[in-house]
Parts: sequence; structure tokens; C-alpha cells
Amino acid sequence: MKKLSRRDFLKLTSVLSGAFALSRLAPGLSFSRPVQSSSRPNILIFVFDAMSAKNLSVYGYKRNTSPNLARFAERATVYNAHYSAGSFTVPGTASLLTGLYPWTHRAINESGLIARNLTDRNIFRLVGSQFERLAFSQNLWPNYFFAQFQGDIDKLIPAGSFSQVDYLAGEKLNRDLLTTQRTFDDFLFKRDTPPKSLIFSLFERIFLRRAVVQTNQSGYPNGLPQLNDYPIYFRLPAVFDGLISTIDGLKPASLAYFHLFPPHDPYNPTKQFYLKFDDGWSPVEKPIHPMGDHWSPKALYRFRRAYDEYIASLDNEFGRLLDFLESKGIFENSYVVVTSDHGELFERGERGHVSPLLYEAGIRVPLMISSPGQKSRQDVYSPTISVDVAPTLAHLTGNPIPDWREGELLPLMGGKELPDRSIFTLYALKNPAISKLSRLSIAMRKGNYKLIFYRGYSHDGDQFELYDLQNDAEELKDLYSDDLPVAKAMRDELLAKLEAVNAPYKS
Amino acid sequence: MAIFNRLPNLKQIAPVYAVCVIVIYSWTTLWLFWKLPSWLFYMNAGEIALVYAYLLVTNFLESLLAVCIPIALGFILPPKWFRDSFVSRGTSLVLLGLGYFMFLAYQFQAKEDYPSVLLKLWSVALALGLIAFLVFIIGKVPSLNKVLEFIAEQATILLYIYIPLSLVSLLIVLPRLLLG
Repeated sequence: MKKLSRRDFLKLTSVLSGAFALSRLAPGLSFSRPVQSSSRPNILIFVFDAMSAKNLSVYGYKRNTSPNLARFAERATVYNAHYSAGSFTVPGTASLLTGLYPWTHRAINESGLIARNLTDRNIFRLVGSQFERLAFSQNLWPNYFFAQFQGDIDKLIPAGSFSQVDYLAGEKLNRDLLTTQRTFDDFLFKRDTPPKSLIFSLFERIFLRRAVVQTNQSGYPNGLPQLNDYPIYFRLPAVFDGLISTIDGLKPASLAYFHLFPPHDPYNPTKQFYLKFDDGWSPVEKPIHPMGDHWSPKALYRFRRAYDEYIASLDNEFGRLLDFLESKGIFENSYVVVTSDHGELFERGERGHVSPLLYEAGIRVPLMISSPGQKSRQDVYSPTISVDVAPTLAHLTGNPIPDWREGELLPLMGGKELPDRSIFTLYALKNPAISKLSRLSIAMRKGNYKLIFYRGYSHDGDQFELYDLQNDAEELKDLYSDDLPVAKAMRDELLAKLEAVNAPYKS
Repeated sequence: MAIFNRLPNLKQIAPVYAVCVIVIYSWTTLWLFWKLPSWLFYMNAGEIALVYAYLLVTNFLESLLAVCIPIALGFILPPKWFRDSFVSRGTSLVLLGLGYFMFLAYQFQAKEDYPSVLLKLWSVALALGLIAFLVFIIGKVPSLNKVLEFIAEQATILLYIYIPLSLVSLLIVLPRLLLG
């Protein structure tokens, strides 16, 4: 080995001290930096299903739906233009967990799965086995992904945990989790149609309903919170008690992913918040969209009100969780992430989120990240998207940023603001996952503009809408015209992107 | 042994079991066809075959459970009432009983449906009484008996398909459930 000369030594010293000085300066630009291996923080991720940023007071909503999220925001980095890459749970959660767009991971259908060759791309593997990795989702669909990631998750909490009634069968046969979930929970015992086996399913349905009728439903005027189509009924305080005791038992350096079903439909607020927002207020009325469900404004008002009340109920429990995290000093050594997998629409005759309509309320979701020891609020206004979260977590945990990533590092979390980047939200529920995307809608956000693209819904061919979100936040004035340069540029970029992602697939 | 002499023999049981198999397997298979197009969106043939193996095992257990009812009745009731015309009475009982289950199943169209009246003790007793009465009446009509026996005998051919398939499925499913 070559001997180190005095000159070399001085050079090395100056380079190292320069690097050290820069490393002290650089974090001033961003709050967070990758951790050293000796002091790994915990990472707690809370995903609230179907929570639209547009309905949260912390994001400027008129009704005071989220005072406790606002309290959390005071110690977090708040992303004010954050989008989900999918407009319902399957694509939205898959993108959050993998850092891939739906056109890549291909979980685009109801109960869909991530492409088999891509299941090693997930946040649990990205943070590595030096973290204890725990996952819990009340919603069954993310559980299918967990089953796909089984080797990367150290502890899987069953979906029915912390529930009053839990008749899920698949997870009780957990040695073959994915298939048993698929067979029993997603087919035989699914409640969307009559029982699908004449004896076991029928009796399961009878006993389930009997159990529900006999369960104490006090405190919930609309009935106990429950899952759509799957046999789980729960009380919000019990679920949060479960989360609190789980977090209390976490070993140092854990990644815990909690995916709660509320405020997803059916909206069952607690008595405390029931009718709290029966104030007659409705946001600006929007024209009926031909692809919407044609709900009347009166019905939409009722749904929105119940949804807002359900959010407030959830936020109330989140306040209790916040108190616990504060009292235990967990914020001092943890990244705490709050986000959602998609939003919820109550406009243009449409209600819900399984819809080709990709307006802001349906796809813009909260993202707030509290870094270890963070004491004040920071805001990011440039557009970000759920596929940014996975690479950011890799970076924050000191792991290499994967070269296959489709997102960027989040601003103030190692990344920089990219106001003119293009981000996409995809809806392709009725398009086979194994085929070219030919029946879909895509929302593309670039700068202040948003282009919505529909293909396969009309005989008139492709359709576009363009909105200037800076001057028309409610997306009322469609600016699209082939002659408008910004429309043409965005359309060309989107179509080129679609062609590229379709290239590996047959029609 | 005298006690086992009270049981119907295998030749009598097989046609009745075949009817159970037809009804129970067909019900699930029909729903499977309804679901299959969406599975084809994102599941490969191997995964679908695996789910089908689980369904076959489930239906197999259900069919065994279902055939236990006529066998038990043949054992308990005086031979003249049931066992001596086991095929026709067993077949009518299975068809009516499973038909009643289908009727109940259709009361659960939506997730919130709960046919509480139909599940009250008196209602169930009434339905079972009606089924028993119809089985008795059918047993008294020789032409109907012959038709039922004919159907049941013809149905046994399906046992040669479904039973081996179910047993193979069991061999696939059991190790996966036990060993992972």
C-alpha cells in the first residue's frame, strides 16, 4: 500500500473538513437527513383510507374537520399539493408501498395484485431488515399486498384485530395467506352478492349478521364503523387503543405501517360528531359530469356531511394517539407520516372514488411528515405524489435510493422542489392488468395546470379537460383546446408517456 | 352388527350423495363463472387453479356434511319411513333442503340484508316441517319416486369426476395449509 505523505494527509484533512462543513450547511435547507446506523429512528406510517385533503380543515376546508391533524401539522412538514397515483385503494396503496406508478405495478383492478416480478420493490424491503417491519391494514386489499411481501414483513397484524366483529377466514389459515384470503374472504364469504357456497357461506352470513345485531352499537347513530363487503365491524376508540398498545410495544428501529379503513364509506360518525356539520353549507355547485353517477345535490350534501363528520370522529381519536406519542416522547426519535391512499368526491353528480373522474377531491390527499425532534411546521407547495414516499423512506433510513424508482425524493426530506415536474394519477379499473391500457383516465399535473384524459369511455375517441389550478382551484373552467400551447404540450407529453408504458403489453 | 344394518348401504348412498354434489358444486361453480372474468384481469392460470382447488375442497366437505342428514334419518327413523326407499326420499330431501338453502341465500342479496323472520325458530321449523311433509308425499307417488331415482342414478356419473378432483385438491391444499 502506498504510504501517505504529509501533503496527502493535509489534502485529505482539508477535503474531510470541507465535507463536514458542507454537511452542516446542507441540512439547513432540509429538516431531515439520512440517519447513521447507530441511531435509527422509528418510522410510523398512518394511512387513512379515502381521506381527501380537500375535506380537511388543516388544508383549508371550511368545516373544522381536523383540529388534531392541524395540531400534528404544527410539528410536521406539510405537503400542500400531494396526490395519490391511484384513485382507489388498490392502485393508490400499491403505489405508496412500491414507489411505482400503477401502469408499472399493475395493481389496477378491484382486489388486484402487484405484478409478480415486482413484489421485491416495497417499502419494507427498502428500509431493510435492520428495522423490525410491522404491517396492519383494516382494509383487506392492502393485506393482499402484504401477503405478496410476506418475506419482507416481520410482523403482520390481522385485519380484524381491534374489531368488535371479525369473521375473516383467510388470515386464520395464514400459512397460505394469499390464496386463502382470495378464496374465502374475497370470494366465498364476500358480502357483495348472495353467499357463494350453500352451506358454509350461508351459515357464515347468518352467524355474522346475528353477531352484528347482538353487538353493542351505542354511540354510533349510523351503526358501527365497518368495512365494505368484508365482515369486520369496529369501534374507533378500540382501534386506536390497539394502535397505541402496538406502538408502545415497538422495538427501537421499527417501521410500522398502519392502514385504517375510516373515513372510507360507509360513513359512520360517533354520536359526538353526528349531525355536527348539518349547517346547510355546500361548496360551489358544479355541473353534472356525464360519467358521474348522477346523484342529486341534496344527496351529495348528505353524503358530504356524513363524511365530514366521520373525518371529525377519526380526527378526535387521532388526537388521543397524538397525546400518547407526545407523552412517550416518540416524536423525538421517529418519523411520523400521515397520508391517504386516495380521496373522495362529492361533486358533478359523483360520489365516492371508484370513478374515472379524477378531480382534485378524489386524488389530492394529505401528506404530513414529522421528522425526529421537529418542533415547527414547514410547508411544501410544489406538487408531490405517493410514489415519492418509498424512495424518500429509503433515503431517510440511510439506504440507497433505488434506481428503479419512479418518484423523486420529497422536498425537505432530501429532495428539492420541482414545481414543473409532471405527476400522474391513473384510473383503469376495467382494464385487464395484463393488457395494454386502453380504457382508463389519467390526471396529469404539471405546474399550475392539470390535464384530465379519458380513453375508452366514448365513441368520440380520446377526451381531454384542462384546468388552471392556480386561478380555478374548483376546476370549473375547462380550458382545453388543441390550439392552446400548454394544452398541446401536456397532451403530447401524456400520450407519449402512455405509449411508452403500453409498449411492453399486447392489446 | 345390527346397529350398522340400520344404515343404508353404499349403493343407496352414492346416488343421493351425487345429488348433493351436483347442487353444492354447481352453486359455487356458477358464482365462480361470474367472478372469473375479473380474476382473469390479474391472476394467472396457476393462481386461479389453486383457488379452485380450495373451492373444491370446501364443496367436498359441504357435500359430505349434506349427505349425513339423509343417512342420519335413515338410521334414526323406522326403515319403512325412510331407509327402504332411501334413494328417492333421500334425493327429494336433499333437493328440497338445498333448495331451501338457496332460497335463504338469495335473501342476502346485499350486505345489509338480514332475513330475520326467515331465521326465527318457528320459521325454520315451519320450513323443515314443510320439507318433511313434501318428502313424505313424494314418497307416496311411485312415478315421482322413479323419476327421482333415475335422476340420482344418472348423477352418480359425476362422482367419477368430482370426487377424484376433490381428492387431488385436498392433496394440494392440505400441505399448503399445514406446511405453508
